[in-house]
Amino acid sequence: MDLILQATVNGILMGSIYGLTALGLTLIFGVIKVINFAHGSLLMVGMYTAYWLILLTGINPYLALIIVVPLLFFFGYYMQEIVIKPVFKAERDVREPITVIIVTTGVWYVLDNLSLILFGAEYRVVKTGLSGKTFLLGELIVSAPKFYGFVATIVTAVLLYLFLKKTRMGKAIIATSFDRDAASLMGINQYRIYNIAFGIGTATAGVAGCVLIPFYYVFPTVGVIFDIRCFIIVVLGGLGSIHGAVLGGIIIGVIESVFAQFMASTWTEGIIYAIFILILFIKPSGLFGARQDW
Amino acid sequence: MRLVEIQNVTKSFGGLKAVDSVNISIEEGEIFGLIGPNGAGKSTLFNCIAGVYPPTSGSIFFQGQNITGQKPWDISKKCIARTFQLVKPFGSKTVLYNVMVGSFSRTKSPLRARDRALEVLEKLHLADKKDVLAKNLTIADRKRLELAKALATEPELLLLDEVMAGLRPTEVEEMIAIIKGIRDGGVTIFVIEHIIRAIMALSDRIAVIHFGKKITEGTPTEVSKDERVIKAYLGEDYVIA
Amino acid sequence: MKIGLNRKTTNYLLLFLAIIFVFIIPLFLKSPTYLQIMILLFFYAYLTTSWNLVGGFAGVLPLGHSAFVGIGAYTSTILYLHYGLSPWIGMFAGGLLAALVGVIIGKPTFQMRGAYFALTTIAIGEGIRVMVENINKIGPFTVNGPRGLLIPLKGTSFVNFQFLSKIPYYYIILTMLIIVLGITYIISRRRIGYYLAGGGEEPEAAQALGVNVAKYKLIAMAISCFLTAMAGTFYAQLMLYFYPKGILGLDLSFEIAFIALIGGRGTIAGPILGALVLRPVNEFSRIYLSGFLPGLHLVIFGLILIIVMIYQPRGIQEPLSKVYNLFVDKLEACLISRGRKKDEIS
Repeated sequence: MDLILQATVNGILMGSIYGLTALGLTLIFGVIKVINFAHGSLLMVGMYTAYWLILLTGINPYLALIIVVPLLFFFGYYMQEIVIKPVFKAERDVREPITVIIVTTGVWYVLDNLSLILFGAEYRVVKTGLSGKTFLLGELIVSAPKFYGFVATIVTAVLLYLFLKKTRMGKAIIATSFDRDAASLMGINQYRIYNIAFGIGTATAGVAGCVLIPFYYVFPTVGVIFDIRCFIIVVLGGLGSIHGAVLGGIIIGVIESVFAQFMASTWTEGIIYAIFILILFIKPSGLFGARQDW
Repeated sequence: MRLVEIQNVTKSFGGLKAVDSVNISIEEGEIFGLIGPNGAGKSTLFNCIAGVYPPTSGSIFFQGQNITGQKPWDISKKCIARTFQLVKPFGSKTVLYNVMVGSFSRTKSPLRARDRALEVLEKLHLADKKDVLAKNLTIADRKRLELAKALATEPELLLLDEVMAGLRPTEVEEMIAIIKGIRDGGVTIFVIEHIIRAIMALSDRIAVIHFGKKITEGTPTEVSKDERVIKAYLGEDYVIA
Repeated sequence: MKIGLNRKTTNYLLLFLAIIFVFIIPLFLKSPTYLQIMILLFFYAYLTTSWNLVGGFAGVLPLGHSAFVGIGAYTSTILYLHYGLSPWIGMFAGGLLAALVGVIIGKPTFQMRGAYFALTTIAIGEGIRVMVENINKIGPFTVNGPRGLLIPLKGTSFVNFQFLSKIPYYYIILTMLIIVLGITYIISRRRIGYYLAGGGEEPEAAQALGVNVAKYKLIAMAISCFLTAMAGTFYAQLMLYFYPKGILGLDLSFEIAFIALIGGRGTIAGPILGALVLRPVNEFSRIYLSGFLPGLHLVIFGLILIIVMIYQPRGIQEPLSKVYNLFVDKLEACLISRGRKKDEIS
């Protein structure tokens, strides 16, 4: 029983970090309605950026946020501007804009393999002041970096929520997500909004990267695992729902952690896929999402 | 036996009654018009007949057979064809291809389907554009293509949903002549239209729908003098398409 | 001598010549490496053409098609290893099983919108892979989990679908490819093709014209899965070894889809052109550049994908067919003027 409790706590912490990685995706998916298959790769970029920064300067991973987050914001901003916008514009009237999916997959291939060429296939991890640190919560062992990750998730989610609800830019983003043409008529430059939304989405991946690097290995294809997981979480939690992403992540994290006590990890992977498929069939709008027209 | 019997058809979406206990009978060979302010429920009624969704209650009979709630493709096989208010051409395909999708419903042979499609295009003065991609057509031509696709299925009943919307006066006149020609060829026509001149010129009888209910029915002259109709129209924000 | 040439005849003539050319290649190309490259080229062209029936004509984006390749490979191989059943028969058994699975999967998923459909196919494809990786035995049959299956080398034997030389494999896959192209061509010209195209582009309009869109999509799916699985058997017999990550993986599913997309989905020439352009890139950069720069071929692949989707979303077959037409125009003009010169002399 204790084991399960421990596993659950681990699952909640790790799961919240999963949720953090999915935050960006749900924003992009919900606002721009773009299925960004490259999201995992963007996370990988965030992780490598944090890795090299910490390795070369010895900076505290959480301070690294100051550099990594804006860097990734611009990366995402320009990715949307250069790669996705042209396709998006061309597909304005197509009923089902599939080409965007394909383009982002191309970006995924390019990013993952570029990092393979640049950094090699080795699994890297960086030693920080936090690595391996734990503390006791009653009888439970809590991993320090995971705990800070949990905190970071909550903070990021709240900040994001406030940004969207309270700031002008945030409201513009929400307006555009409902009806881009109506928003346009209100003086909102829809394409700039998309760029910003994409930038923010990618920046959150940057936060996740910094949070993960103290305890997670980074390697060129690390993004793939997270990518699929993020999509599952986003669908589970509901498109465009911030709390849905966090909760969805926690659910996945707990399932992964608890079931791993009883069966091989490959089976838990299978269970998560099965849940994914079930959600897609039964309630594709997810736990907290609005009914999407598409 | 009337060709079409719409009996007490009601269609609700959640709490909203889009169509409310409508009763309409259509004789074989007539052009029956359906008018009413925007949002009155006309297209919804069409969709119920065409099988897009079943009515919440009530029945629809065609040639004595109960066709209520059948699927659109089965309705099409029963020789009922329809056009869409927002035209839906197969944009990436040629005009001929578009119409052939329709004519294939009566024959399996590609050659015969092609011939039949060309015939229909001739009738609608679209034959010279047969190799043009549908997405490159003008709005008037798209409306005619929409009609051509439906005609190619050789229907006995044709449901026309605002085929004139967006057309210029000369194009409207053309369309009126075409529709009359179709009726003369033996097809019964049930037409929704906002352009008053067109509906008056075409229809043998007209029904008026307002807030989902049929408020009156009669010949064009009778309907135009009916007080309830005048109230309904003048009291609304009525936009002619 | 007058040559009555219209474009259709010219096309058929050139096609005929191309087929003859491809059939005689093994007579002068002897290197097994290059033959293998050609074989894999045809293999991918076959896979993408089969995929095209659903992904191109029916208008949806299936990203889990490798599952059917795997079903084909595993079915025929298990039947062979366990019962000694000739892989030729196993090939058809695999095809039927794949068609069945495809229809079962298709029925609920075709109702989904494009993006969700794509995600579902990925999930199902990966789900199947994970399942197979975790299973060692299904009843009496050895599946062997992630290690995959090995087919014992028996030397050249038609019944066992094994040959020591690459050449029989070359002709088999070439024939399969031509058959699949033929099937695609026939479908596109007949009612089923029109219904698929219409149903894929505007389902409501097609339904109003009498098309049971869902039924036709399932028919296309069944045919596509059947054909795809047969390629799985071919691959198993060619390599005599396969394993889940390779044959059931996302990489294969994506490569199939992207070759078709880059080439031009929904067209007949598209998948072939895509394979012709991309497979050599893949093979050569893998062979020559993997030494210094591993993964470079995928970077190139990704870049091509992005560029093509931005500038030519309908695939490279569009500009290439324009080039083709220009070329044939010149050719015809050349031949006709030669014919006229002969008339003048005689």
